[in-house]
Amino acid sequence: MTDAVRTHGLFKRYGQQVAVAGVDLAVPAGSFAGLVGPNGAGKTTTLGMITGLLRPDGGSAMIDGYDVWRDPVAVKARIGVLPEGLRLFERLSGRELLLYNGRLRRIPKADVERRADELLAVMDLTGAADKLVVDYSTGMRKKIGLAAALLHNPSVLFLDEPFEGVDPVSAATLTDVLRRFTASGATVIFSSHVMDLVERLCDWVSVMSAGHIVAQGPLAEIRGARTLNQAFLDLVGRPDRTTPTGLTWLGANPKADQ
Amino acid sequence: MTTPTGPEDPHPSVDASGRGGPHPSSHAPDPDHPYPSKGTSAIHDPSAQHVASRVTASGESLRPLATIGLFAQLKVRLVVGGLRGNVRQLVGFVFALAGAVALAGFGFFVMAVLRLVPADVALSTTTLLFASLTFAWMFMPLLAFGLDDTPDPAKLALFPLRTREIALGLFTSSVTGVWPAVTLVVTSGAIVGLTPGPVGVLVGVPAVLLQFALCVVASRLITTVLSRALRSRRGRDVLAVSTIVAVLLVPLSNLLLDRGVGDPMAVLHGTAAALRWTPPGMAAHAIADGGLAGLAEVAVLAVLAVLGCLLWIKVLGRALVTPDVSTKVASVRRERGLVDRFLPDGPLAAVVTKELKYVRRDPRFRVNWGSSLFVAVVVGFTTVNVDTGRVSEWQLVLVTLITGLMIGLMSANAFGIDGRSLWMNAVVFATERDLRTDLAGRHLTTALIGAPTLAVVAVAAGVAAGQPATIVPALLAGWGLLGVGLGVGSMLSVLLPYTIPDRLNAFTGAAPGHGGLAFAGAFAGAVSIVALSLPFVIPTLLGVVWVQVAAPFYGLLVALLGRRLAARIGHARMPEMMQAVSKPT
Repeated sequence: MTDAVRTHGLFKRYGQQVAVAGVDLAVPAGSFAGLVGPNGAGKTTTLGMITGLLRPDGGSAMIDGYDVWRDPVAVKARIGVLPEGLRLFERLSGRELLLYNGRLRRIPKADVERRADELLAVMDLTGAADKLVVDYSTGMRKKIGLAAALLHNPSVLFLDEPFEGVDPVSAATLTDVLRRFTASGATVIFSSHVMDLVERLCDWVSVMSAGHIVAQGPLAEIRGARTLNQAFLDLVGRPDRTTPTGLTWLGANPKADQ
Repeated sequence: MTTPTGPEDPHPSVDASGRGGPHPSSHAPDPDHPYPSKGTSAIHDPSAQHVASRVTASGESLRPLATIGLFAQLKVRLVVGGLRGNVRQLVGFVFALAGAVALAGFGFFVMAVLRLVPADVALSTTTLLFASLTFAWMFMPLLAFGLDDTPDPAKLALFPLRTREIALGLFTSSVTGVWPAVTLVVTSGAIVGLTPGPVGVLVGVPAVLLQFALCVVASRLITTVLSRALRSRRGRDVLAVSTIVAVLLVPLSNLLLDRGVGDPMAVLHGTAAALRWTPPGMAAHAIADGGLAGLAEVAVLAVLAVLGCLLWIKVLGRALVTPDVSTKVASVRRERGLVDRFLPDGPLAAVVTKELKYVRRDPRFRVNWGSSLFVAVVVGFTTVNVDTGRVSEWQLVLVTLITGLMIGLMSANAFGIDGRSLWMNAVVFATERDLRTDLAGRHLTTALIGAPTLAVVAVAAGVAAGQPATIVPALLAGWGLLGVGLGVGSMLSVLLPYTIPDRLNAFTGAAPGHGGLAFAGAFAGAVSIVALSLPFVIPTLLGVVWVQVAAPFYGLLVALLGRRLAARIGHARMPEMMQAVSKPT
């Protein structure tokens, strides 16, 4: 099996702080991969460097065998990106945003219009298609962002926290679209905190902690006999969970302070 | 759980915990709602939060004196917290403080010195100054809404405070600070300047205090009434554009006043007479009159202040429990493809379509274009209306050139307005050519609006001065300059990109800490545009007019070369440019 994404020693520091300390990420083509890790583990920085939005201080990244920083033409035609933060062109309507994106990629206008209409319908955004993105809710933003990332039919899709702040209905729509996408042989890589979701959707998991990949492989292998949540906690470690001494005043029937 | 105790005394916490809270709209990290006013993060400063939490600790209502002390302390903590660990802001604050002290001293001196001028002039001047101060208090906080932590009552909605306590607290935090102190010092100068005798001071002091209180109450009333509108996107869009219009109208009305009206004394007395029975007018007269008449006016002012307070408390009570309506939005019309009739299908047409929409829909574009055109109008006015009536040719050409310069300078931070959405372009642009097409689209859009504008300016200036012969050379030179401006602008866009804040008020064009960069960019831009335009500007000023025929072509060439070079540089440093325009604001 070939790798859709492979990085070697990817490295990034901000001032004194090392955000990503030599990441060797590998994701086989056609997999639905989850990139998990606690806050500050370097997930967003890693995804930024793989998608060509953030310049790495060292290491290399390959997508479908093409180097991200040496062969941007081949790479940018193959990837779709939905970064964290979700700043879109706020003063365009959802439909206009899709049209702009598609035409910027030199897809003929008639084709873009057809694809945009279908994507808007699938994402359940037809009613809001002519409203400005600045007035969209979080769920709508994620959906229109995903539509824009899918418009040119990429072979690898990168999503940074696609389900954060999304209501259950929109989340179901998003997962449906993504499942159809991977079923056709394309690759999806998304970062998340929500282990249940990763466990339900993914067949490949990469666990990051403090700028390193601490485990990587098929879901079943990483999980073993445990739940993914337990496996994750065992991998990244967590502070000692003895009974806390403070907080005695908290609760409906607080114990008297001694 | 308690129940609402009636409209006189709405208990904010009841609403917050019982019926889902006063601000139910919650599209969470909405970047265009940057005010931390939606309950999620009320007060950021931890030490201030500690002060604030003392309000809730007891759960009982506070005595007025305790409320005053608490809120004064809160305001001081917020100001100090905002300065901690930020040298740039600290230096700025020290300068502002020095300026405020100087202004207070100067203002007090001016008011006091009025004792030496004839009594009626002194009275009229004081009336006018009082009125201006009141006006400033009413409208300045609107410009700073969201910058100051205290004026938004919604932040206090979740604390178990009665409306009366919130009102007292907000009033206290309004009068705690540097600028309120300046106002009080300047206003009290009137006691020295106007009082008829030592006894008059007895009337003067309450009059000054009431004038000050009225300033504060009027300011709070307006902020509270508009606070809901200011939290919605549409409201802030409207405010951004209208404040710049207001700011720009001041010099324009000066220009109009300078000609015609004549005698400044008549203007002074006329305005003062019109303001006689307004609160500031009555305060000034009370100080000057002294005696029983003065006392009567002070009594009226006191009643007005109390009424203002009551009205404010009423409005505040409503504002705290009325939901946010900013989520109701209209649709935009679908495009009719006008651009596509003239341009081949592809990225260029896409960029032009998008940019034309942004010019229409983004208040920052509207403000930029508005202020450029405004400069053209002012320069035109002053040039055409010089006293002699005889204007030389080159002066008329200069009007068009300056307009061209202003429009050209707008393109000097092309990617700044895209800001954090620039990644959408960056994930598509794989070659230098893509970036060049993007710049070309932006240039085309600016030219589509700028070229006809320059034509209007050139024709209007020529016709108004009675020298139609200047129209054609002015127009050609203006177009040439616009081209040069676009070329230079694209270079600056890739060399000196900086963040433009989403939350725009009329006075800041750059994110905190980026003001110097913005200024350097504009300065470098103006100098290079002028320098590159000398080949066709100098002959015009010398009277060799035929050179102008080449000016537009020269401009096109500079724009083309600038675009090519900028695309080469910009393509290599796209990630760095994205970081530069995505700084937090």
